[in-house]
Amino acid sequence: MSLVLPASDSDRNTDDRQLAAACAAGDTSVFEEIYRRFGDRMKSIAWNHLGNISDAEDVVQEAFLKVHRAAATFTGEASLSTWIYRIVVNTCYDVLRRRRRRIEEAPIDETTETAERTAPNVDDAKRITLRKLLNELPEQRRSVFELFEIEGLSHAEIGEILGITEGNSKWILFATKKELQAKWKRNQ
Amino acid sequence: MNITCNQLDDLLFDAGELAMTTADRHADGCASCREKLDAWKEISDVASSMQTTWKNDMLWPRIERSLRDERSRSVRTWSWQWAAAILLTVALGATAWYALRVRNHEASFDQDILRVSALDDVERAEQVHVEAIAKLERVAEPKLDEASTPLMVSYKEKLMLLDDAIAECQANIEHNRQNAHLRKQLLAMYSEKQQTLRDVLREESTHETH
Repeated sequence: MSLVLPASDSDRNTDDRQLAAACAAGDTSVFEEIYRRFGDRMKSIAWNHLGNISDAEDVVQEAFLKVHRAAATFTGEASLSTWIYRIVVNTCYDVLRRRRRRIEEAPIDETTETAERTAPNVDDAKRITLRKLLNELPEQRRSVFELFEIEGLSHAEIGEILGITEGNSKWILFATKKELQAKWKRNQ
Repeated sequence: MNITCNQLDDLLFDAGELAMTTADRHADGCASCREKLDAWKEISDVASSMQTTWKNDMLWPRIERSLRDERSRSVRTWSWQWAAAILLTVALGATAWYALRVRNHEASFDQDILRVSALDDVERAEQVHVEAIAKLERVAEPKLDEASTPLMVSYKEKLMLLDDAIAECQANIEHNRQNAHLRKQLLAMYSEKQQTLRDVLREESTHETH
């Protein structure tokens, strides 16, 4: 199935609803198209929430199954992409809660990962520091920060994904960055 | 635009291009705000470098396989649900049919019992009539054989007609023992014969006294 990018919001809504309807019907080529379009960001969101490739891939796989099960309920109010990212984030929360119930979260071993960063020139030590600080944050604040600062999503999109208002997302980001800013120098 | 240190947070919250330029300009002349602003920007720079991707050619085939499994599982579940629904409907239908059949059978059995018992009552009543008639006949027979008056002759003819009618009625009853109408007719004829025999005996005793 080849899809053309929609020209306007209403085209986007129609296109998203058609995609969702095809998902509900079980059209594998549509899932492949979704994977091609959104797969990388789904993996990135999952990786940044969970910290390892294996769990991130499991979450992406689980998210596709959830999309398949729930596609018939997609109304088109949000865009298909934010709806899918919302599923990814919620699946990550489930994994994190399960982890917390079982054992203390294993520290992320950055050196063993074979993931590639979009900006490899940034100091790994700083990334590890920021990762450590992010792990200490509550789920929602961490998600807002990661979706805005790492994934580059807008506050409107983050609002749709997390079920909060755009203004609330902006406020949470500001408060989170203030907290990180205060800890940042101490951890350098 | 000149700002004070207290206003730095407002600019950081705004985060627009103009706000950040204004903050930068203020920070150039304020070491403490510069430190804060640099940390703010550095966090964003480090974060934006954390968008992560990796190549795994096996991931999509894995997802595709799990989707296929999910679909066949849901088809299987759907089939099982249908089969279970059909089985349940059949079982309920069979149970209802059996219960209805047992109830009808019991009702019909009760009716049969009632019918048999009513028939017994009727036949007992007939038997009483027959016995009474036999006794009366034994007494009246000699008188009828020697019928000397026209009235007695007419009684004798009436009794003979009643006997023929009773015989015919009994023959019909043999074919349909539960026919209530025939039974009533028979009882009426028995009563009539009994009454006629009594009349014969009464007539004879009146005749003798004269």
